[in-house]
Amino acid sequence: MKDTDVLDSPNAIEFKSVTKKYGDVVAVDNLNLSIPRGKITVFVGPSGCGKTTSLRMINRMVEHTSGEILVNGEPNTAQEPHKLRRSMGYVLQQAGLMPHRTIVDNIATVPRLNGTSAKSARTEALQLMETVGLDTSLAKRYPAQLSGGQAQRVGVARALASNSSILLMDEPFSAVDPVVRQDLQKELLRLQSELQRTIIFVTHDIDEAVLLGDYVAVFAVGGRLAQFGTPEEILREPADDFVASFVGRDRGMRRLTFAGASDVKIHPLTSQHTPWQQWELKVEDGKPAGWIIDGRTIPGGSLFVEGGTLRDALDSVLSSPSGVGVAVDRNGKVLGLLKSEDVLAATEAERHRRYGVNA
Amino acid sequence: MNWLMNNLPYVGQLSALHLLQSIIPVIAGTLISIPIARLAVGRRRDGRSTAGHTAGSAFKRGAVVNTAALLYTIPSLALFVLMPLVLGTSITSPLNVYVALTIYVVAMMVRSAVDAFESVSPVTLESATAMGYKPVRRFWAVELPLAVPVMLAGLRVALVSNISMVSVGAVIGIQSLGTLFTDGLRRNLPAEIIVGIVGTVVLALILDRLLALIGAWLTRWRKA
Amino acid sequence: MNIFDKTWAWFTADGAWTGAGGIFQRVAEHLGYSALILLIAAVIAVPIGLMVGHTGRGENVVVAITGALRALPTLGLLTLFALWLGLGLVAPIAALVILAIAPLLAGVYSGIAAVDKVTVDAARAQGMTESQILRKVELPLALPLIFGGIRNAALQVIATVTVVAYINLGGLGRYLIDGLAVRDYPRMVAAVVLVALLALIVDALLALLQRALTPRGTR
Repeated sequence: MKDTDVLDSPNAIEFKSVTKKYGDVVAVDNLNLSIPRGKITVFVGPSGCGKTTSLRMINRMVEHTSGEILVNGEPNTAQEPHKLRRSMGYVLQQAGLMPHRTIVDNIATVPRLNGTSAKSARTEALQLMETVGLDTSLAKRYPAQLSGGQAQRVGVARALASNSSILLMDEPFSAVDPVVRQDLQKELLRLQSELQRTIIFVTHDIDEAVLLGDYVAVFAVGGRLAQFGTPEEILREPADDFVASFVGRDRGMRRLTFAGASDVKIHPLTSQHTPWQQWELKVEDGKPAGWIIDGRTIPGGSLFVEGGTLRDALDSVLSSPSGVGVAVDRNGKVLGLLKSEDVLAATEAERHRRYGVNA
Repeated sequence: MNWLMNNLPYVGQLSALHLLQSIIPVIAGTLISIPIARLAVGRRRDGRSTAGHTAGSAFKRGAVVNTAALLYTIPSLALFVLMPLVLGTSITSPLNVYVALTIYVVAMMVRSAVDAFESVSPVTLESATAMGYKPVRRFWAVELPLAVPVMLAGLRVALVSNISMVSVGAVIGIQSLGTLFTDGLRRNLPAEIIVGIVGTVVLALILDRLLALIGAWLTRWRKA
Repeated sequence: MNIFDKTWAWFTADGAWTGAGGIFQRVAEHLGYSALILLIAAVIAVPIGLMVGHTGRGENVVVAITGALRALPTLGLLTLFALWLGLGLVAPIAALVILAIAPLLAGVYSGIAAVDKVTVDAARAQGMTESQILRKVELPLALPLIFGGIRNAALQVIATVTVVAYINLGGLGRYLIDGLAVRDYPRMVAAVVLVALLALIVDALLALLQRALTPRGTR
């Protein structure tokens, strides 16, 4: 009975007045934080702010100095460290794969530690490879034979193999190149929509935090929790100057990520001619293929995909050579054009709505 | 060539003795070096290396490595000769050679075993700990296998050096291919000495090759 | 009396230190042989190691040669050369030079080869000639490993020079061989102590030299 009670409680992990000191140096200062079940909570902050230490205190890779950390309602000191660790997944920055074990055996590590038979652990590992988008033909390879992105996927699969409701991720995507990172981020969001684990994700990148987090905890230097809230709340109303400067100069732009662009009018392409006489949109097979001016073809800007955010709409306008954004449907076919004045008007309307003011 | 043909059984017998004196000390010395080196390296339980070191751990490491190096300065002949004093054996007992050579292997291997354990990535150890390995199991399943490549390089040097050192035992009358040197010198037979040298080198090359093959199999995960 | 008291007695006996066959003479002989051997070995090994380390050509050959040299039994070479060249100084020196080449070559070669390629590339990009790169960049940065090889070779030579007494030459090995002949253990223990002390002192001096030569930034 107790188990169901615990899983019904809204918080998977609770920090209660947790402090970590190294000698006299305070790494985490009186942290009080409740991490909601089944959501992604991102710890973000500059280096030395205690975000990684806080993460590592959850599975006792670091022991806290005072206070209490509850995992599923029980103090994490109630069980031996190795048992606690086997009960939650952990993904590190450099993946931390065992170089002397094949991919499939790496993923099967925790089930094997928990006493699962080699055969069923491997079967499970192969399924997990598919879950994280890895070709199972890689199963017998060694980590040295993988790309950085593949290694990180193995790291995620390995963490999932512990079959726990909690996943700790310590800057897991910071060592791979930007393109691969985007893939991995999308993949994580897709996985989470299926699996709905409690994920605690550490990053120093505010963009990543805003993209991935259901909730974001901003840490300040000295181990102080500066703000906890949804990404939108943090961008809209930074709690103090530190948070405001950390979320950065672009926060106005970032915030548009949370605003839909359904108000922005899409002007149909009535003829080959655009609202600006001298620019002509080139269309091939219904898809945009650049702009034509004086007989020259110039590559187009970013495309606004139907259902996108206000930020996407604004960017399509700003990046277009003609100053007119191109809207496409999900198959990439041209729907029409976006005018800058419409987009700006939509941002105005959004701002008024946000602060409850009538335009 | 003639000399070899006429003395083939004798050379074969000496080679077998040489082989025995080459392999046993290397195995014994390696088994002794591994725990010494592991204790000297010392790591915090969460797997972070002590790089940066507390004064105590740096001292421990330095003491172990330097003591091993000091053993290496004792001339092999002297060590063979003095063994009876330590062990209470007779001066012609082969045990003297076995123990003395084991000491040399330890002197060489402790250093490379220390390097080997230090070469294991702290991130890998840390992730093993984070997945819930207990320290002892982590040592056998993760740390030791990952230390093999560096240890193996040291082991190959120790093995080859040891094979060449075995022959010095002949000076105090312990039979090996080295007997061909002392005997050849006494009887003024360069051919006998050459057979001994070639035999020793061939033995070393074969055993080294064998060790390399075993090592390649143990570390097949390294090749991308 | 136990062996330590007897050894002490041997050290403090009349005439133990001075005169023909005294400790001073044996130490001087021992050091003389060792220095000569190391010098000849260095003249052979250092240029080869520098060239191979710098160009990266012939690596496999060097690795194979150092391996094979390690396998050569010094006692075998010593007896063979003694038969061929007679009982002079040439035979033991030749045998021990071969012994010393392996660690020297390995140290110089691996030291140069281990220098960060980015650093070398940067030096080349700034217009240094190949010989400038070798002298001003690779050599200073390789010093720790090179000295590792030198110290290793010195230890081996000082310990092994004892063997030359087997073919009736001098050095501290005399005490060992002569002591062995008459089962005079104190004399043999004394020889071991002297050789170990000598090796430690030389190693310490080389360590000081290394420290003095190593660029500050890389210490």
